[in-house]
Amino acid sequence: MKRGFLLAGLLTLFLSAPALAHFQMLYTPESALEQGGEMSLKLVFTHPFDGDHIMDMDPVQEFYVVHQRGEEGEPQKTDLKEYLSEITWKGLDDAAGKAFDAKLPARVVRSMGDYVFVLVPTPYYEKADEEYIQQFTKMIVNVGGMPGNWHEPLGLPAEIVPLNKPYANWTGGVFTGVVMSNGEPVPNIEVEVEYLNVDVDIAANAFVGEPKIEAPHPAFETMSVMANDKGEFTIGLPKAGWWGIAVPDVVELEHDGKEMVQEAVLWIQVTDIP
Amino acid sequence: MLRRGLILFVLVGFLTVAGTVSAHTPLFSCFDNADGTIYCEGGFSDGSSAAGVPIIVKDASGEVILSLQLSGNSDVEFDKPEGEYSVIFDGGEGHDILIPGSQIFE
Repeated sequence: MKRGFLLAGLLTLFLSAPALAHFQMLYTPESALEQGGEMSLKLVFTHPFDGDHIMDMDPVQEFYVVHQRGEEGEPQKTDLKEYLSEITWKGLDDAAGKAFDAKLPARVVRSMGDYVFVLVPTPYYEKADEEYIQQFTKMIVNVGGMPGNWHEPLGLPAEIVPLNKPYANWTGGVFTGVVMSNGEPVPNIEVEVEYLNVDVDIAANAFVGEPKIEAPHPAFETMSVMANDKGEFTIGLPKAGWWGIAVPDVVELEHDGKEMVQEAVLWIQVTDIP
Repeated sequence: MLRRGLILFVLVGFLTVAGTVSAHTPLFSCFDNADGTIYCEGGFSDGSSAAGVPIIVKDASGEVILSLQLSGNSDVEFDKPEGEYSVIFDGGEGHDILIPGSQIFE
């Protein structure tokens, strides 16, 4: 009988534990650049609110940028895999995992306009769920204030298409996007949102310091919003910094004899009004 | 087709001068291609084209060396002048954007 109570207690404890939200990060300190030039990007698979649990990344499948200068410009795709090098990224819990660093030469991000960075990681095997996860991740940088293709879908299997410039958001504003799969809206799907709640030390390849916010409840760590019947969703932006938006389970398929979910991730940056 | 709207914010090559932002702000940037040529591009903050905007290159004494226009792709390339020079995006009277050659980098 006692054993039954113990089991029930453990089960309750387990079920009430916060859900661990995986976010593929594609990080650079600033997304609205006054000028182009050399650029460093960090590719880390983690839990951004906690700043820990760094998951090992395998060599990436695809890493490229689509640049467009002006609404009438032609989008140009540049493969960036040659600039990747493996690094070890350390979380706040001091545990570390395999990640990647991309050091881009000045010629890649030189011209004015939008740069849509796209990362397609090798599927990650999540032992707990016995399934693979593959997160198609976008992060958009602007140079010089001239817009381009920030709102153009790329036709990825899982994708968030912004309806606001993702690099120009004031604290207290809202951000709206559309969940798409292969260029078509995905209606009535759950969208997860996490704040990058830790500082990033680019040189040390680590999350550092103390978490900026203490969540009053696990639901505030990974927030949820439902997309409407057109795949559109809107979130508030209450704090400056980077916000990760993820859409789990956009596509379900099989990989290496296991289930695999393809997910969409978009990073947006929020800036305080001076 | 030319848009010569309010110029309240000016991007000067790789030196940005901050000001108040409004719609249709002209933008201009130049790079040194490191092969004896200079590349310049223009546009507007709403993403519209700057095709046809006059580009003037002057020497240190203010004499016009080259009179060019931005192409249909809103850009232009020319041979790098000897000595001091400046490149001017001629967005209209009182609304020019001038980039000194000393601030045009590779």
